[in-house]
Amino acid sequence: MNRKAMLTVEHLSCGYGKTEVIHDLSFQVAAGERLCILGPNGCGKTTLLRALAGVLPCQGYMEADGAALCGLTTKQRAKKIALMSQFSRPAFDYTVYEAVMLGRYAHRSGSLFPAETVADRAAVEDALRRTGVWELREHSVMRLSGGQLQRVFLARTFAQEPQIILLDEPANHLDLRYQAALLESLRDWTADKRRCVAGVFHDISLALAFADKALLLEEGRALACGPVEGLDERMLDRLYGMDVRSYMKRMYGRWE
Amino acid sequence: MRTGVKIGLLFLTAFAALLLGTGVGSVYVPPGDILSIAAGRMFDLPLPDHIPAGYSAMVLDMRLPRVLLAFLTGASLAVCGAVMQSLLQNPLASPFGLGVSSGAGLGAALVIVLGLASAGLGTFLLPAVSLVSALCTVFLVLFLAAKLDRRMSNVTVILVGMVVSLFCNAVMSLLATGSPAHAQRIQLWQLGSFSMREWSAVWALGPAAVLVCLYFLRYAGELDVMTCGEEQAVAMGVELRRVRGRLMTAVAVLTGTAVAFVGIIGFVDLIVPHVARRFFGAAHRRTLPACALLGGTFLVLCDLAARTLTPPHEIPIGSITALLGAPFFLYLFFAGRREG
Repeated sequence: MNRKAMLTVEHLSCGYGKTEVIHDLSFQVAAGERLCILGPNGCGKTTLLRALAGVLPCQGYMEADGAALCGLTTKQRAKKIALMSQFSRPAFDYTVYEAVMLGRYAHRSGSLFPAETVADRAAVEDALRRTGVWELREHSVMRLSGGQLQRVFLARTFAQEPQIILLDEPANHLDLRYQAALLESLRDWTADKRRCVAGVFHDISLALAFADKALLLEEGRALACGPVEGLDERMLDRLYGMDVRSYMKRMYGRWE
Repeated sequence: MRTGVKIGLLFLTAFAALLLGTGVGSVYVPPGDILSIAAGRMFDLPLPDHIPAGYSAMVLDMRLPRVLLAFLTGASLAVCGAVMQSLLQNPLASPFGLGVSSGAGLGAALVIVLGLASAGLGTFLLPAVSLVSALCTVFLVLFLAAKLDRRMSNVTVILVGMVVSLFCNAVMSLLATGSPAHAQRIQLWQLGSFSMREWSAVWALGPAAVLVCLYFLRYAGELDVMTCGEEQAVAMGVELRRVRGRLMTAVAVLTGTAVAFVGIIGFVDLIVPHVARRFFGAAHRRTLPACALLGGTFLVLCDLAARTLTPPHEIPIGSITALLGAPFFLYLFFAGRREG
């Protein structure tokens, strides 16, 4: 691979309590690349994302843009990696602008009562415009539709200005139109050569259409990891325990 | 309206409530007279002729400390409520609802029954035991809730809090029955009372309230981020475990101290943050100061009602806040149900 590695994971193991879910996993994501993590329910996809985001303690070595993650503070790590999950209803009445401004937390200085800076406001405005919610900035997040809300969360993720965005089924419960727009914004965002995306998607077709690299997870171990082009379909069949291609053909056949 | 203007209005309202609370009683003292009496004491000036000599002591040594104590308690409880709600991402959580106040009250009742309160070190022992038991209750409730339901949903946390709260109250009643000498004081405690009108209480609670509120304000940014949920908060750069531990402890300290002096007063910590958020938005750097002013004003007015509605008897302050708070809680609960 000639492109620079943005995210490197070596011998990663983690889990909950005594149960190990991810076993000795190694993979790389290059700059500008979009990785999708595939596997059946319970194979450890979300656990892997949680470990990468620093939510879950883990063993092994992880590196983002050349810096070892274990040596970073939570704030420094958040400047490199952001996590976007499927939306949940916010419980408190922030405006869209305020909600996106929360993404700037990691960039605040350590002073006693830190305030918003010019850079914060610029990043928030850019994120709001990029995701098409600038017009909604004064609205309350509690009164947005699911699609609008997910765009606000995407804006917050952009405002965090990470180099790596982790996605945890971000397109779930979204109308088709919003799904397409969401993935389009993420594709644009990754076009910058110092960024990459790693995501878990519920929908395999969606995942393979969005990503250019796939990591197949079987019971917490890497079954395969490589470009989506030339992905060995027998691996997919083994992973999901069924003939994936013919199922998809039947499913999507009516659109031919 | 600009936030500054709104906060200014709140300041004025709070000041007016303090004057009203001090002025109204068995005899009415007009606001102007209160100010001249206060100025007289502070700057050692002679009193105007139309003010009877006894008024000075009545206003400054009986009414003012009581009103200030009510204000400080209201402010402390409201701010603690707002912080607790954000920490648990649960707009229905509050120190009272989680049993923290009852736990603190139980600790205080134990100190009273064991006869330690009257000793010289009682002044410090009572708040200390009260805040330690408040702390224990917070962790007990959260531990139980997490055991029962890994997601710690609204309903679980509230139910567990209610169970613990009822249990602590029952033990307090037992203690009251078991030691008739202290029964009255404990019963007074269970529904809260400002009848302990002493400056010493104001001097103890005042600094605690100011310091803890400033501490919360310093964490306003973290609190905002924590409303997004624990996982998101970590991914956005908050050192969750450390910050949450510190803030929970601060909540327990302030609630415990307030309970030690005035007993258990419910619902202030639930109602006030909601009202504050409605007018000031959810951002903590605005909501927390608003909570302090609104909560203080609210409790001063409740205490005024408690003293004046049924003379010569006093209604327990906790009854007044519960009369207002319980319907409000139901309203929030059902409104939340409809939306989500």
